[in-house]
Amino acid sequence: MGPLLRRYRFLVPYLLLAPGLVWLTIYYVYPAFQMFIASFWSGTLSQGFTFSFANWTNYTKALDNYSEQFFRSIVYAGLATVLTFAISFPLAYTIAFRGGRFKNLLLFLVIAPFFTSFLLRVISWRTILGDDGLLLGPLKDLGAVPEDFRVLATPVAVVTGIAYNFLPFMTLPIYVSLEKIDRRLLEAGQDLYATPLMTFRKVTFPLALPGIFAGTLLTFIPAMGDYVNAELLGQTPSTRMIGNVIQSRFLTNNDYPTAAALSFILMAGILVAVAVYARLLGTEELTSGAV
Amino acid sequence: MSEHDSILGRRFTRRTMLQGTALAGVGAFLAACGTTGQSIAPTVGPSAEPTSAPSDAATPAPSDKPTPSAVLNFANWPLYIDQDESNPPKSPTLDQFTAKYGTKVNYVEAINDNDSFFGTIQPPLQAGQDTGWDLVVLTDWMASRLIRLRWVDTIDTANTPNFVANLRDVYKGVEWDPDTNLRAPWQSGMTGLGFDEATTGALTSLNALWTDDARWKGRVWFLSEMRDTVGLTLLKLGFSSEDFTREQADAAFAEIQKAVDAGIVRSFLGNDFKEGLVKGDLVLGTAWSGDIIQAALEKDTLRFVIPDEGGQLWTDNMQIPKGAQSKYTAELMIDWVYDPAIAAQMAAWIQYVSPVQGAKEALAANADPEVAALAQNPLMFPDDATLAKVHIFKGLDEAEEAYMNDEFSKVTGN
Repeated sequence: MGPLLRRYRFLVPYLLLAPGLVWLTIYYVYPAFQMFIASFWSGTLSQGFTFSFANWTNYTKALDNYSEQFFRSIVYAGLATVLTFAISFPLAYTIAFRGGRFKNLLLFLVIAPFFTSFLLRVISWRTILGDDGLLLGPLKDLGAVPEDFRVLATPVAVVTGIAYNFLPFMTLPIYVSLEKIDRRLLEAGQDLYATPLMTFRKVTFPLALPGIFAGTLLTFIPAMGDYVNAELLGQTPSTRMIGNVIQSRFLTNNDYPTAAALSFILMAGILVAVAVYARLLGTEELTSGAV
Repeated sequence: MSEHDSILGRRFTRRTMLQGTALAGVGAFLAACGTTGQSIAPTVGPSAEPTSAPSDAATPAPSDKPTPSAVLNFANWPLYIDQDESNPPKSPTLDQFTAKYGTKVNYVEAINDNDSFFGTIQPPLQAGQDTGWDLVVLTDWMASRLIRLRWVDTIDTANTPNFVANLRDVYKGVEWDPDTNLRAPWQSGMTGLGFDEATTGALTSLNALWTDDARWKGRVWFLSEMRDTVGLTLLKLGFSSEDFTREQADAAFAEIQKAVDAGIVRSFLGNDFKEGLVKGDLVLGTAWSGDIIQAALEKDTLRFVIPDEGGQLWTDNMQIPKGAQSKYTAELMIDWVYDPAIAAQMAAWIQYVSPVQGAKEALAANADPEVAALAQNPLMFPDDATLAKVHIFKGLDEAEEAYMNDEFSKVTGN
């Protein structure tokens, strides 16, 4: 065994990579390729589809028809990311610096709701946010909001729903980067007569950036393609996101070319957005800092 | 979204009514379960067996006929057949079929919505191969699509005397199945007006859906199933939903858009409307009869009416996919469920509209008064006056279907 292993040592990294590569090839590369082909199809389900690069107009048509939903997805995902960050950062900060012996418990509590199925949580939000539900019912009884006021079927419901569902994806990376900060650096800041605010700005926040970068990506990217929240909490034509359009193009209208083109536009859009974002924050430093 | 409801597929929750109810209240769920269970038990044994016996004699299989196969592969929707409540997944109807013909029925609740099931049978059908199913149950429009694609086998009606004799007239000679031999209705439901009478008062006209009334503005839903909502809108406009022109369809889409723009309509929903209705977020909309029956168990002010302008009748149909291994046995099964006694046994459990003539009488004759009372339920057994008011949506060709779906998508925001 020994000599054999030594002789083929150069193979080891590939063997270790193999499961992941095979997995990605079968379940990502191949379907993505298929989808790419489909996005250049024309035709109908019963007459069959034909491939031609002349069908690049699928892309322009898709953009033309669904720019509204694309724009809405960017806005909703952006707002949700900002909201998630606004909630997560203080939360992660408190756990990391003030958690003490409750740290693990607090972290567990952040994740605890996510032991429940994603779908059930969204559906229970529907109960909580109902027109006469737990939240609005009492407010209406008190006359604090008008009788016909509602949260469901509004952008607020969709954005807060997304923010809620991605909270741990923001909180945990930020927590990890805050937790790693060498406390002596903070003390050094104080020794150099920095105010707590200044220390936070010059030391804590920059050191937390890798976590913030990871957290915002983990939130923004899936939020862009999310359709469950818009489906269950939005439920109104004016809150449909691009994910809903892709879903209905694929499954209801059997319009595979448009659905495939939309998926690729979404992917490309996210790639560009992430590239710009990484550029702005300076990824090199961030990823090296995160290791 | 339309016709298909991704997460809480209309079918899924509609048929898994018990699960749906469980979400809203475990108590109601248990109550519903208990009632059904107790009332069914007597139906199954005594009344079904003897009544089905004569029809055995009536349909002797001539010797040149093929023999029943060992297995019948039957795909259906969840909770869509009677179950033995002491031994739940088992179905008396299927067990009795096995006892009679010796065929083991591989009954699989494989269909959660038309579109995704279609996705599973489309590749083999397109390739001219066997789908693995001998019998599938699909909604009218999907059934007509399969017929259009020539992907179904013709039912040899010589093997299905019960079907020929007992199919109610309203189902016969539809435009996409003129000889009534390309599909056999399984169960039906009606689409009409559903509302919470405590909030809206009594309603009979579809005009309410376009009326800016403080009692229901912003609490109205339309069904996400294109044919249901467009069908009712066509009727509201005074057109026919069984046959209409492109211009009339356009007028209907514009009319739907009007209600959306006015802020009257809040959502386009599949069967989740039931949940909103029970919670009070929704008070009025276009609804399926069966869902209102179920939701009314939790909120007794809920009403379902066939509007003055008319309603829609939709049907799920048994079809034999092209290339099925056991076509003859599938025909025997079609004939079997058209035996009025069997149909009554199923209806008592399913509580939708049975397409079988005589099922009502068979149910009314049941020894258990609670079961017998179901025969008087107008939503399970609509009278002729009601049936005269309901329409079957036009069978669309592929281009029409694509156009209608696209236009409907625009209105619903997809």
